[in-house]
Amino acid sequence: MDINLKNNTSKQLLWIGMAGISMFFAGLTSAVIVRSAEHGWDSIVMPEWFWYSTAAIIMSSIFLIIAKMQVRKGISPTPYIVSSLILGLLFSYFQIMGWNQLTSEGRYFVGPGSNPASSFLYVITFAHLMHVLGGIISLLVTTIKSVQVKYTKENYLGIELTSIYWHFLDVLWVYLFIFLLVSLK
Amino acid sequence: MMNILIILVAFLVVATLVQLLRVGELLSEVKNQDVNKVTEKDNKNQSMIMTIVGILFLASCVWQYFSWGHLMLPGASSEHGVTIDNLMAFTMILIIVVFIILHIVLFYFIYKYRKAADNDVAYYYPHNNKLELIWTIAPTIVLTVVILYGLSVWGQITNADTSKSEVIEVYGKQFDWKARYPGEDKTLGSYNYKLVQGLNALGVDMDDETSLDDKVTRELHLVVDKPVLLKFRSQDIIHSAFLPHFRVQMNCVPGMSTQFAFTPTKTTSEMKDQEGEDFEYVLLCNKICGVAHYNMQMKVVVETQEKYDAWLSEQNTLSEKLLTQK
Amino acid sequence: MSDHHNETFISKYIFSIDHKMIAKQFLITGMFMGIIGMLMSILFRLQLSNPGESFAVLEWFLGDKWAPGGILDPNMYLSLVTMHGTILVFWVLTAGLTGTFANFLIPLQIGARDMASGFINMLSYWFFFAATVVLLISLFVETGPASAGWTVYPPLSALPQAIPGSGLGQDLWLVAMTLFIVSSLLGGLNYIVTILNLRTKGMSMSRLPLTMWALLIVAILGVLSFPVLLSAALLLIFDRSFGTSFYLSDIVIGGEALHHTGGSPILFEHLFWFLGHPEVYIILLPALGIVSEIISVNSRKPIFGYKAMVISLIAIAFLSFIVWGHHMFITGMDPFLGSVFTFTTLLIAIPSAVKVFNYLATLWKASIRFTPAMLFAIGFVSTFITGGLTGLILGDSALDINVHDTYFVVGHFHIVMGLSAIYGMFAGVYHWFPKMYGRMMNKKLGYIHFWVTFISAYGVFFPMHFLGLAGLPRRYYTNSAFPIFDGLSDINEIITSFAILGGLVQLLFVFNFFYSIFKGTRATQNPWEANTLEWTSPVERMHGNWPGEIPSVHRWPYDYSKPGAEKDFIPQTEPLKEGETEH
Repeated sequence: MDINLKNNTSKQLLWIGMAGISMFFAGLTSAVIVRSAEHGWDSIVMPEWFWYSTAAIIMSSIFLIIAKMQVRKGISPTPYIVSSLILGLLFSYFQIMGWNQLTSEGRYFVGPGSNPASSFLYVITFAHLMHVLGGIISLLVTTIKSVQVKYTKENYLGIELTSIYWHFLDVLWVYLFIFLLVSLK
Repeated sequence: MMNILIILVAFLVVATLVQLLRVGELLSEVKNQDVNKVTEKDNKNQSMIMTIVGILFLASCVWQYFSWGHLMLPGASSEHGVTIDNLMAFTMILIIVVFIILHIVLFYFIYKYRKAADNDVAYYYPHNNKLELIWTIAPTIVLTVVILYGLSVWGQITNADTSKSEVIEVYGKQFDWKARYPGEDKTLGSYNYKLVQGLNALGVDMDDETSLDDKVTRELHLVVDKPVLLKFRSQDIIHSAFLPHFRVQMNCVPGMSTQFAFTPTKTTSEMKDQEGEDFEYVLLCNKICGVAHYNMQMKVVVETQEKYDAWLSEQNTLSEKLLTQK
Repeated sequence: MSDHHNETFISKYIFSIDHKMIAKQFLITGMFMGIIGMLMSILFRLQLSNPGESFAVLEWFLGDKWAPGGILDPNMYLSLVTMHGTILVFWVLTAGLTGTFANFLIPLQIGARDMASGFINMLSYWFFFAATVVLLISLFVETGPASAGWTVYPPLSALPQAIPGSGLGQDLWLVAMTLFIVSSLLGGLNYIVTILNLRTKGMSMSRLPLTMWALLIVAILGVLSFPVLLSAALLLIFDRSFGTSFYLSDIVIGGEALHHTGGSPILFEHLFWFLGHPEVYIILLPALGIVSEIISVNSRKPIFGYKAMVISLIAIAFLSFIVWGHHMFITGMDPFLGSVFTFTTLLIAIPSAVKVFNYLATLWKASIRFTPAMLFAIGFVSTFITGGLTGLILGDSALDINVHDTYFVVGHFHIVMGLSAIYGMFAGVYHWFPKMYGRMMNKKLGYIHFWVTFISAYGVFFPMHFLGLAGLPRRYYTNSAFPIFDGLSDINEIITSFAILGGLVQLLFVFNFFYSIFKGTRATQNPWEANTLEWTSPVERMHGNWPGEIPSVHRWPYDYSKPGAEKDFIPQTEPLKEGETEH
């Protein structure tokens, strides 16, 4: 398959996959909307850590954008990809700290300390983190390939694909974060 | 032993089929024909079979209607049920007419346009926008009528005036039904599922004063020509209260209360005259609910006000049943 | 250019990335599961028509735990009904139908060497295989396979105390479905990207065969709707295994008041049917596409109204997203919402009607050749008319009140899915078998298969409308508990007899299929004298589909019996003659 075609089809495959993932989260968020309209919906204060994780993931996306700019100029993007990876791992760590903060405030996923709102909060952030795991693996692979100097200014498909997916996770998180902020009031 | 025999027989059947096919192929080779080529003779045979089967099929539909039509539910025993039955008759006649016409056209075309001879060629006719428009607009008009008619009936049913309705609760659980009557105060007492215990199968809150005169019964009695509002609850999983003779169906969902308002118009004894001495109205479960789903029923009786009052007065109130305990 | 790589047994037959092999893997797995699903229906039909009677065959298949003394256990009855539905809806009619024909036909009909990503395609099959294994394992667990219906509504599907099948059996069902959904999504990605990007020179969208349009639209439907089922299933898994209360509230069961509050089973129904309804169109649309092709080829006429057929496919797909509430009319939903869903549901009848009229117009002044595939295509038109029309009753909320969850519904959906869609699948197999295996299926066996199936199938499902109008609910172990249903036992016996006959004749098809793979008469390159691109590729299977250059396309696929042409068909690869205009 000719290289341009391969690039295009790979990106389209990814875009459609992301459309599917979006529908999955659409299902979850519409469940929240339906449930929050009923009685017994408690408000929750968003853990501080989730604010930090939001900042982390936005920053990690920025580093990936710079990485792409660098490789286009023929400069090694490795330091930027690595920064992005570190921030991605930080995001994951902050999410777990966020869950810790919730449980220390007595907000649990199940059991007596839980209520519909808290259950949904855990489920949605957990589901997102699972998809982030895929993104982190992708970043790892990209890092290794970048270290091996596999990317040229003509062909950096791997970085493009990783970026597209990672930016998607970023935008998805911002959407979910704002959505939860609003619904959990 | 039996198993071995069965396997042997199956094996023999397959082997026979294989041999038959081989014979068929060899014969064709001898005749220098392709055994699988579809010939004009095939076209004639198959289209003939199609016509015969088609006619028999339509005839069988008619036969089924005449043989089994009497098994369908008798005319509705409720006010809104009659409107539903009319809508049903209208829609059924519509779809039956379309069903018959389209099938006749289909079978006719199959027969007429089979390739029976060399000069049976097709006519190259790829499209006709005018036709498309006609057969888009025609169904649209017909369906608009169906939709408007259907929605008006739905609106009547769901917006029924319940201000004068007798309210009765119907409570479903694995695998029976109970009815709860509100008593003199015309109010059903409040409930909490955590209170379900022993004789208090419906979890009624006995601290609520309005609960004291409620009556829980095993049969559902209704007064003819009096509007009733059934409120549904479930103890455990989704059930569905189906009263087919009244054209009433409503899911019973744990954690929610649903309802259906209607007015019964024929007493049980009228129905016995009509359908036979053994007839009883019934409420049955119509949402899969477990091992005895097929046998979850409650007897429904429609009677005069006097008989109803007599029956109700014989039922114990909840305070009698639950609070006067030794 | 064909791929010069070394093929081992493993890379050729097992972990193949060749779309044609993957298609056959889907087909064989689908057929295998179809036999199991069909067998299940025979077993439970025996119980339905002869309640309480002992059948040795029941004990033979189910053992004496689930059929003691040859009498079917009521819990196992519900398990059989559940698994029958699950297997046929998902394994046979979704994976078996789309998985086979999308994988086989897309690269061949658009003029591509293979799918955009052979690797993702291979993954799609192996996820499906894994899902199959998990589902089959669930048949053997001690508490029985899932038994809350293929629609697995909670709380029944969430509480093992409510029914044994909701124990481990339901867990495995959920795992199998998760794997299945992943498989479906992976496949769909490929179908969309391949059709949009890898068409050969000259193959514009308006020259695509209708089968391609249908499969493209189906893939989009799947990508948008299956993930929502995944979210529904995820929340159900949490309710079952972790004690959350997404769907559960106010429950007393087994003498115990459960801690769940605040959940709503209706939420599950919304999420489920948001997939569930598009799912039935995911099942139907490929059959619509296949039948369009087969009717056209065997009528030696263009499919009538190509543009209208494409537009109606798109309309049906779009509308299918906004009708799901018609499965929930009697849940106590807001009546206004009910009106909206009645409106949208009845609207779907319009593009469906347009398609039927177009099929009939194609048959008008045709020159019909009765191959077994054509017979099934005609059978499709008949059953689509019949089943589609009863949809008008069910889609009308006021009428649904008395037929919801009765045999009327069972009759309707079996006629449109169990008959129409399966006929489409059979038609496709008979028609494309020569391309798949280089041989012809036996014609006489095909004819017998069709006629016995067509007659038996209508014999099974048409009477069900009467059962439904008599008020008989579905998923009932027996009809003998209610005196009002006593008169229906004759009908039930007739249905079971036809079911057994229809079921047995499918074995003839299976025999024909496998016999012909090895011993069928060798096929010529274009045995049906068709125009589409797949018939220009050589009979011998090859990677890359065409030796040398991929042919270019100069016309639409439906130039059959075009005036002025030498033969009654003009392949898409034929350039326009001088003075000839393209359709």
